[in-house]
Amino acid sequence: MIYFRGCVVREKIPRIEMATKQILGKANIGYRILDNEECCGSFLLRTGFTDEAREVMAKTVEKLEGEQILVSCAGCYNTLKNDYKEILGVELDVIHTSQLFKKFLKEGMLSPKNLPVTVCYHDPCHLGRRCSEYGAPRTVLKQIAELVEMENIRENSRCCGSGGGVKSVYPELANNLAGKRLDDALRTPADILVTTCSFCLINFQEARNRSEGTLPVLDLSEILLWALSE
Amino acid sequence: MKESEIQAMNRSFQILNDRRKELLDNKQTSKLKERVKKIRKHSIEYLDQLVDIAVNNLSRNGMEVVYANNSEEALKAIYEVVKDEKFVAKSKSNTASEIRLGDFLKGEDIELIETDLGDRIVQFTHNKKSSHPIGPAAHLNIKEIARIIREELNQPVKDDPQEILEIVRRDVLEGLTNCRVGITGANSVAAQDGSLVMVHNEGNISLVSMLDTHIVVVGVDKLVETIEDAVSVVKLETIYATGKKVPAYMNVVSSPSKTADIEQVLLMGMYGARRVVVILLDNGRSQALKDCEESLLCIGCGSCIVTCPIYSVVGYDFGYERHLGGRGVVFSRYLRDKEICFKSGLYTCTLCGQCSLDCPMEIPTNQLIEELRRESVKSGILKDEHEEIARKIVRKGSPFF
Repeated sequence: MIYFRGCVVREKIPRIEMATKQILGKANIGYRILDNEECCGSFLLRTGFTDEAREVMAKTVEKLEGEQILVSCAGCYNTLKNDYKEILGVELDVIHTSQLFKKFLKEGMLSPKNLPVTVCYHDPCHLGRRCSEYGAPRTVLKQIAELVEMENIRENSRCCGSGGGVKSVYPELANNLAGKRLDDALRTPADILVTTCSFCLINFQEARNRSEGTLPVLDLSEILLWALSE
Repeated sequence: MKESEIQAMNRSFQILNDRRKELLDNKQTSKLKERVKKIRKHSIEYLDQLVDIAVNNLSRNGMEVVYANNSEEALKAIYEVVKDEKFVAKSKSNTASEIRLGDFLKGEDIELIETDLGDRIVQFTHNKKSSHPIGPAAHLNIKEIARIIREELNQPVKDDPQEILEIVRRDVLEGLTNCRVGITGANSVAAQDGSLVMVHNEGNISLVSMLDTHIVVVGVDKLVETIEDAVSVVKLETIYATGKKVPAYMNVVSSPSKTADIEQVLLMGMYGARRVVVILLDNGRSQALKDCEESLLCIGCGSCIVTCPIYSVVGYDFGYERHLGGRGVVFSRYLRDKEICFKSGLYTCTLCGQCSLDCPMEIPTNQLIEELRRESVKSGILKDEHEEIARKIVRKGSPFF
């Protein structure tokens, strides 16, 4: 299995990579990381650079085809799963960390403790509305913490505001929307906001810091690792 | 959009959303939605033929029909009818806004009297912007509205909705006595029957359409086959737009006012309009039909903007004229051009897909926007920030180096 970290995790949030690697280790799962991992092409596809996307995707697909691919980022997941099929005609065997973690728990490969925390979960657009994966992250969270739900979840999840190239052009707008989503979370008794997209996570953290908020925002891998370390 | 306007708009949208929730979830609505989806898809598929059929049947029913290829032709046709008028009455019409009818009439020194309460209020604001296709003043709070009315009508008005209603009604009714021509849109048009279907809650369309001459401005995308189809479309539109099962009024206009009560001799203009002029507007819709037909499925309910995250913080600046939100951005490409589409917010959409989920016609707006971005980039109309990141990704495989 290849663990494809994705650009944001690889270069901006190494703690998600660390957590994921440790979980894989605890589950005794062999994997490798590409020496020359490059972008999946999502950003290029969403912002209209199709020719450039094809170029990048052609390079990436060579490294990934025929192997099982684990991804941390909802954006990478949607792109590898759907766009590669649509554009390159290649069906990749791709799994999102939330789905793999769910499998680990179901098959008893990991025995996490129950954390004394209440969490809520933000459905990223790419994993939720685009790929209809709403259950796996929640199944994992319910086993390790108390899960409460915010308003606007699942199909109606309110976008964090960073997708589609908006954050790079209109950072204020992206932050503003992330702030609104954080407000949804703050209206619940949750101690922690969990998500499964590195893009959402960065945007939430920025918005929180700007408003001098304190709500911790974690990737699913991080909270699972915590439950495994207790 | 001002912060106070954003807040007022979101409050209005929240109320609307809560009100329609139950109705949207019920079985009858789902059945109606499926029926209307079929009707709209079928209409788009045969749009070319439907236009010819509509022109024939509207004419046969005694209405004058003008096929306008663009705004200029539509405005010219309207001008021919209103050139001797000092005042013209109008009901709410997104198509009339699309061709900038208000600005045009002002330029010709003809005073336009908006009869829809929300529209009348918006008409008095500095930028005349509307925040929702059915509730144009959704972004204005009562204080703001009262201030606008006080200033514009020079009368003392308290921050009281009922009092505002009374004052505006009086003012509009007085204005109507000076009008011989009324302009409306149409929510759906039955091509085979040659009938125009209009919905309203205030009763204003009845007043406006009963003036001596009734002009109807309508996009060709509003065509369906029959009155039954048209009623299904406007019923669903009402449900999604207002959270009410039916509007207060549905008017069906199929002819000028007429009678044959005396020896079967046909006489025109008994009580209603003596003359009905229908402007069937293309204005880029034929091109949209070729390149992006899903965008023509729209029934104009505005559901897409009520839950759009971007719209909730940007408001009417996301969209083009009264074609608001992401679908409006897509439409602006065909109504105008790539530059206007870019400026209307081609890159403001996060592609989150919420609007498609809430659209009764399930228009895949995020996919359409992605496609238009492709075209835009190819034409060199793009965001510098994206170009820079794209360059990095191609060179180094990462957006961050």
